[in-house]
Amino acid sequence: MTEAILNGRLPPPVRRSDGVIEPFDKERIVKSLLKETQLVKVLYNLPPMSEEDARRIAEEVEEDIKNMKLRFLSGPLIRELVSVKLLEHGFDKYRNVYTRVGMPLYDVYSIDHSEGYEAKENANLQPNPETFHKKKADFLSKESYLLMMPPRIADAHLRGDIHIHDLEYWGTRPFCQDHDLRYFFYYGLMPDGTGTHTSVAGPAKHAEVAILHAAKVLGAAQTNFAGGQGFFNFTVFMAPYLVGLDDKKIHQLAQMFLYEMTQLYVARGGQPVFSSIQIEAGVPKVWQDAPVVSHGKVWRDLTYGSLEDQVHAFANALLDEYLKGDAMGKMFNFPKPEVVQRRRYWTDSRFEDVMLKAAQLSAKYGSTYYDNVVPAYRGGEDGVSCFQCCAYAFAEDGSSEDFKRKINFEDGAHFSMGGMQVITLNLPRIAYRSGGDEGRMYEILKETMDIARDALLLKYRIMVQQFERGLIPFASQRPKGAPPAVDIKNLTHTIGFVGMNELVEHITGYELHEDPSAQKLALKVLIEMDRIRKTYSEETGLKFSIARTPAESCAQRFAVADMIHYPKYAKEYVKGDLERAMSLYGETKDVPIYYTNGAHVNVSAKVPLYERLAIEQRFFPILKGGDIFHVWLGEANPDPEAILKLNRKLALESWIGYWSHTKDITVCRACGFVGGGLNESCPMCRSQDIRVYSRITGYYQDIASWNAAKKQELKDRYRIRLSA
Amino acid sequence: MVRKMVYAGEIVPLSLSDYLGEPACVVFFSGCNFDCGYCQNWGLKKSKEEHLTDIERVKKAISENKLVTACKVTGGEPLLQLDALLEIGRFAKSIGLKFGIDTNGSLPEALATVMPLLDLVSIDIKAELREESYRRVTRLRSPPVAEVIRSIEIAMRSKAQVELRMVVIPGYNDSVSTVKSISEKLKGLGYEEKASKGEACLNLIEFVPENAFDEEFRRIRNPSVSLLRDLALASGLKNVRITHRGIGISQPVS
Repeated sequence: MTEAILNGRLPPPVRRSDGVIEPFDKERIVKSLLKETQLVKVLYNLPPMSEEDARRIAEEVEEDIKNMKLRFLSGPLIRELVSVKLLEHGFDKYRNVYTRVGMPLYDVYSIDHSEGYEAKENANLQPNPETFHKKKADFLSKESYLLMMPPRIADAHLRGDIHIHDLEYWGTRPFCQDHDLRYFFYYGLMPDGTGTHTSVAGPAKHAEVAILHAAKVLGAAQTNFAGGQGFFNFTVFMAPYLVGLDDKKIHQLAQMFLYEMTQLYVARGGQPVFSSIQIEAGVPKVWQDAPVVSHGKVWRDLTYGSLEDQVHAFANALLDEYLKGDAMGKMFNFPKPEVVQRRRYWTDSRFEDVMLKAAQLSAKYGSTYYDNVVPAYRGGEDGVSCFQCCAYAFAEDGSSEDFKRKINFEDGAHFSMGGMQVITLNLPRIAYRSGGDEGRMYEILKETMDIARDALLLKYRIMVQQFERGLIPFASQRPKGAPPAVDIKNLTHTIGFVGMNELVEHITGYELHEDPSAQKLALKVLIEMDRIRKTYSEETGLKFSIARTPAESCAQRFAVADMIHYPKYAKEYVKGDLERAMSLYGETKDVPIYYTNGAHVNVSAKVPLYERLAIEQRFFPILKGGDIFHVWLGEANPDPEAILKLNRKLALESWIGYWSHTKDITVCRACGFVGGGLNESCPMCRSQDIRVYSRITGYYQDIASWNAAKKQELKDRYRIRLSA
Repeated sequence: MVRKMVYAGEIVPLSLSDYLGEPACVVFFSGCNFDCGYCQNWGLKKSKEEHLTDIERVKKAISENKLVTACKVTGGEPLLQLDALLEIGRFAKSIGLKFGIDTNGSLPEALATVMPLLDLVSIDIKAELREESYRRVTRLRSPPVAEVIRSIEIAMRSKAQVELRMVVIPGYNDSVSTVKSISEKLKGLGYEEKASKGEACLNLIEFVPENAFDEEFRRIRNPSVSLLRDLALASGLKNVRITHRGIGISQPVS
């Protein structure tokens, strides 16, 4: 028989991927082609393969195999041969669905040993066995989804016209969610969403249980969502559980929550839940007269307004515990504290303590985020809104349908604010493609946005289908006939962008900070983007928004893609260390070049903060989907009172809707020292075994896990201490 | 009009650590009459041609800045360019900013002249207020200790906030006896009365060797948080603050 195989009269037996060895049989190819190309109908709405074509392909493949005189044949190998044959015959779409997905063995090896680009794409992932597993799964999923989506969209992503975020979860998870705690305090907790795989808890009756349920809601929800999980109005909704407790107890509860959220090291392949909590110092106007929901009931005779002391005490306790840090004195990097700024908190001296502690936390660790609802465009005191995840914003204005019912929790009606999917536009490329012609640029902008819209609508259809089939079970849970926990049809579809600075630089010849003409153009482009966005909302009835993208990896990916496709322009406009990037490029895609995030001013621009503010604040009212203003603190030991006064100015006198102060932190692993500054060695014991933390786009992480572009950006950041 | 020039090497448009409790714009004058080995701004020790700046430019930079509530002049030694300092001070006050300076205390006459404009004066205390101690840090043959004491006195009698700053350098000024000697002196100059009104504080600051001018000083270890805290407590004074990277903020010790 061996001889017959080598002579090419018989194909060798096949090692199938399910672990069986059996003789080659071309009928299996025919059958699989007929079955699997049905997907072409499902995915692209085109006819599947005919039996005649399938048979022809199978016969030709058999002939080829005989001629190759192989000693070894496997299922995957045959599949590749069939795929090549499909391409030879021009059956590209059949090939798309018939091909295997996977990765080279070398890459699997590299991942398991924590090497290479994939190891650094998401700084929230630290190397551990769970992470390695996730990375491999991610790789497989990403490749699959690119094959499953219409080639027009997949190609736009691969070319770098757009970036589809969290591609590995394209077919399975919506993006992010700020939950309404009242829902769980009324219905109880069912972590798996169905109650079949986990125990089902009744509504919390005690403060500790309420805290644990809150932590577990975020943990459970993380298994259903790709992005951040948070609670809006956290201090207000927790308040009913704090009645009658002394301050010490309230601090204990606050501490418990921070530890739960940073030690539940379980989310998506071994990482803490990416979480945030909105901290109100008092009770916002819309909640003043709303009935309290807790302990499994709606208290008709008790309003949140009457619990303002508890809300205030809990806000203080949380900030005190954040200020203490963990047992090593290290900051809690999750849940991100989103401290709400309202005019009342600045004018009523009762709330001074919370505002001061927020400033102290900024001074010490830089960890406070300021969610400023003072500017008129934030909807004032009559709506609810939140910033979460990486500075995405969601809102429901007071006039929206069902708003009153949701405030009153009528029949379980509640708020569900979050994002379905983010797609980011490569703005510099749009400028390059326009040949410098502004009119043409708007056309290309529209074309590119249309692709993003189509992708977002596709995502919407897939998610609604998954949701309705119960395949996103935490989100779709309906305990006791309640409305689903998450209102899947009400999530926001976000179009983000990177490199406004480089777009205007290409068209006007100036960066944003260099000339008013550049700023004017940026504003014009944003207004046009917003106009197009509105048409999408009107046409579909869905929420679309424009946001600055926290471009952790795509600011780099776009820069690299443009060095490949538009090198003539890109080399003039990419930021970072181009020379080093070029020398590294053959070896790795992780090179130190990037585009400027969103509509931000170049991080290395030598302009004082007030000028940066004057430029960037004008974009906030348009970027309702989210933006952030960064104050990079150069000081190792900033004065909290000075930060407090700066915050007051930002809150009451600017249009900035969301800001943070970034402070670099050194943690010594030898002696446990924790302190300010980007130190080369430990200021206490001089050990080189230190970790330096800084904010990567939207949150703090160890910079050892940053990609090269982000490390370069850190060096380039213009610190407010250094201007000459 | 004759352009008035000032040796001002840098302007930091927004500092959150140079002016107690206020976001401030900080002007760095260049030129200093001391030669401290631990100096962190040694680039500004000498007045150089390249530092010469039109005073109108400095004023413009201050007035454009809408985020600050105060202006501080540091250096170098600001009192060496008294006319420019007065002009900048008057200007800052005229646009509603608080105004303060850092000084090494060697020029009491000049300080007295500018004093009415000041909301804050930060005076360095380099070591025990005795010639031989000052000589080691400032490396001057005859350091003007009497002048420093006189400056502190002027500041204590004023209405301004007074911050006495001592960078704690191990081996130079980090002993309990040094701090006790300094605090006795300060008590005699009216520190406690002013501190009890909340108008004076002593700030003990971590020495950061990496930034020091002199090689010998760069080899010294920085002091620990607990050393600063112990010295603060040993001083027995009111309103003592410590500033250390290990705490990450400047904070009062009680």
